[in-house]
Amino acid sequence: MDDTSFLRIQGLRKSYEDVDALRGVDLSLARGDFLCLFGPNGAGKTTLIKIVADLLKPTSGTVEISGGQNLDGGIRSRIGLISHQTLLYDELTAMENLQFYSSIYKIPDPEDKIDSLLHTVGLHNRRDERVSTFSAGMQQRLSIARALINDPVLLLLDEPYSGLDQFAATVLSNHLKELHARHRTIIMVTHNLTRGLETANRIGILSEGRLVYLKDRAEIDLRSFEDHYFTHMEAV
Amino acid sequence: MGLSLVILRKDLLIEIRRKDSVISMIFFGILLLFVMSMAIGIGRKVDPELASGILWISILFSSVLGLGRTFSLEKTNRCIDGLLISPVPPSSVFVAKTSVNFFFMLISEAVIIPVFFALHGDNITIGLAPLLATVLLLNLGFASVGTLFSGITAATRRNEVLLPLLLFPVITPLIAFTVKATGEIFAGVPFGEYSAWLRLMAAFGLIFSCAGYLLFDYVMKEN
Repeated sequence: MDDTSFLRIQGLRKSYEDVDALRGVDLSLARGDFLCLFGPNGAGKTTLIKIVADLLKPTSGTVEISGGQNLDGGIRSRIGLISHQTLLYDELTAMENLQFYSSIYKIPDPEDKIDSLLHTVGLHNRRDERVSTFSAGMQQRLSIARALINDPVLLLLDEPYSGLDQFAATVLSNHLKELHARHRTIIMVTHNLTRGLETANRIGILSEGRLVYLKDRAEIDLRSFEDHYFTHMEAV
Repeated sequence: MGLSLVILRKDLLIEIRRKDSVISMIFFGILLLFVMSMAIGIGRKVDPELASGILWISILFSSVLGLGRTFSLEKTNRCIDGLLISPVPPSSVFVAKTSVNFFFMLISEAVIIPVFFALHGDNITIGLAPLLATVLLLNLGFASVGTLFSGITAATRRNEVLLPLLLFPVITPLIAFTVKATGEIFAGVPFGEYSAWLRLMAAFGLIFSCAGYLLFDYVMKEN
């Protein structure tokens, strides 16, 4: 598989009993693409992220990452996920959480990396405090550091801006821009139009389980995109 | 094995800070011991097999409390997703969680068994080495099956109810082997007469350890 299809999704469907969350999604991303997916609640955005992360099995269809249909081997250790939940242990300190994740990703000499990430998300001075004592925003900032600990080549973000204060949102946006510049492939699901349009190079709208809009950011006229977006929001 | 140790160390550190699993297991185990001892009469001479039953029912029922918590800390903040997207094989998670459960049982037994001897020790023979072997084999079987079922029920809403309902029918043979072996240890019979029960316990533990190790991939992915 060449660089033009680092991630290829074909005919992806997911049904929960009698509800169809995804109704045949096809998508292809090149290495270094940054796709921002918008869509109303219940459109299937989180389901799509979970299937790509191999946290959910699709009812039918395939997801190929870097040429493979499963995430075994090297690619699994290079995926990062930021979701609604922090994936952090409340009883461990910020430092211990990052040490745990660096251990399971077998990162050599992780101390410098952890120090650098804690500085980046502004939590270095609270590194030895338990996560349970952190505010929701601080936990989300630490979650960003956790997701970046393995220097992911594929970063999946599900509503990463929810609960973030202005500082943390800016830190995240800057980090995403830096990762994008380093040719990391990113899929972000958000309701934040400003942040999404500012950082991504491809923009999509998922509605009722279908990818109804997909364009390069450079081709998008903001006014017509907003009309398109609100049409789908209102339709749901 | 290295990844299992990382998860094991993390779980032990969390338990050292929370202290809720082991303390609740010990407290509930001693409570059951007293209730059953009072029901039959404290100080009354008890049949070795009955004494054995009292001991293991107290330990096993209290151990279910610990099992229920095996995956609860992974469910908080969806930490389980952090493990699932990582390169950690589910079999390593199984080894780590089984070891944690084994270790927590060992700690609670280190408190409950002396209390049992304080209540009923006058009437039974105390063979420490065979009793230790029985404890280790029981823990292996119980922790393996318990971790497997704890993983299966973790995604359900009423997992604390479902876990014992699924677990006890499966471990009934293990309980029977343990009670028989311990009854004969308490009766002071020679090792050769009850070693078959210990072999059955070892076989049970090995079969379910292997089953859990091989099946845990499906358990975690389906959840």
